[in-house]
Amino acid sequence: MTKTKERRFNPDRDVNPWKGGYRPYDIAKEIVICFVVMLVLVVGLAIVFGSPDDKAVTIQTWSNANQVDFAQTAITELDGTSATAQYGPPYNNVADVSQKIGPFSPEALVGVHIPVNTAQDFVIGPLETVTNSPVLTMALNQFNAASPSQQANWESAYATAVQKAKVFHNVLVVPLARYGPVGIMIRQLTDMARSGALDTSMINQDHFYGTDYTKSLLYVADGTYFSDQGTALHLSGGQWGMMNETGNFPGQAWLWLYSFWYQIPPFTTAWEPNADILVSVLMMILSVLLILVPFVPGVRSIPRWSRVYRLIWRDHYKGRE
Amino acid sequence: MIGRSILGALVNLTKPGMYVHWGFIQISVANLIVIGLMALTFILAIAIPFHRKGGRS
Repeated sequence: MTKTKERRFNPDRDVNPWKGGYRPYDIAKEIVICFVVMLVLVVGLAIVFGSPDDKAVTIQTWSNANQVDFAQTAITELDGTSATAQYGPPYNNVADVSQKIGPFSPEALVGVHIPVNTAQDFVIGPLETVTNSPVLTMALNQFNAASPSQQANWESAYATAVQKAKVFHNVLVVPLARYGPVGIMIRQLTDMARSGALDTSMINQDHFYGTDYTKSLLYVADGTYFSDQGTALHLSGGQWGMMNETGNFPGQAWLWLYSFWYQIPPFTTAWEPNADILVSVLMMILSVLLILVPFVPGVRSIPRWSRVYRLIWRDHYKGRE
Repeated sequence: MIGRSILGALVNLTKPGMYVHWGFIQISVANLIVIGLMALTFILAIAIPFHRKGGRS
């Protein structure tokens, strides 16, 4: 004969059978009322406040607003020192730069699957599409025929000279130095960028309707103009930018915890190089803990201890104690 | 121009954002207002009694 052991009553897990009365409740009516209220609120708020409509930053707007920054960025794409060129997977094979936790690096694990060769894709390739400029064709031929060390010398000379570049009568002027054909190439690339032709050449043409802006976004992000725009609008990581919207519109306030970690040590100090992956994993752990609240002793008792439910159902509990 | 003024918002929020700085905390006034409204809605949801028709069954 088996003996059944009776479980002790646990107020966090067990409930007493309901002995009170029942009444009907129309949940379909509640859903319809909530939907109508939300619809009126959304339409009303849209009429009163509108919505953010900042124009997207393109290579054309960037190069017209700051030719010097564009030229300074273009040479880093050509000599392979830009942020994109040094990013590593998924864009290129640069060893030991991907974010990691211990030995685990998802980017390195997945490898290069959006190949980007900044010199070819951002400078030489677009310039080769210009066929009506003999000077440019000569410069490209000279550059492509030169040895890697010669190319590096020209690039280095231009990178130094362009630091003192100025815009004179709306034209980029770079101090003369021994930068060979690179001066003509970057000057032509700047003109191409200002006309909007570089934006067009950057769009992935794999599909009939090109919607892949990966390369142009990487290009724009390599300059200082874009990050300056973001900082001015309080959108940078160190400004809790994840929570913010442009202008005076409310933003994604629910991302406060995600954004919070980016503001404090060690995420701003020792862990800074791997902050993204560390914050992501931390938030995953916290999310799992939130899902598991009903199973965590103590934490699951907080609603019972706080007695907020008695405030909500105060009519029911009136006079019961 | 007329169409633009008809379609445009009544209140222009496309101006430089206003932010509150407190130590390492930075929050936009717009977000503060929304968070305040959410807290107010929560308090009202608890404080306002349930609507009853015909009393308790």
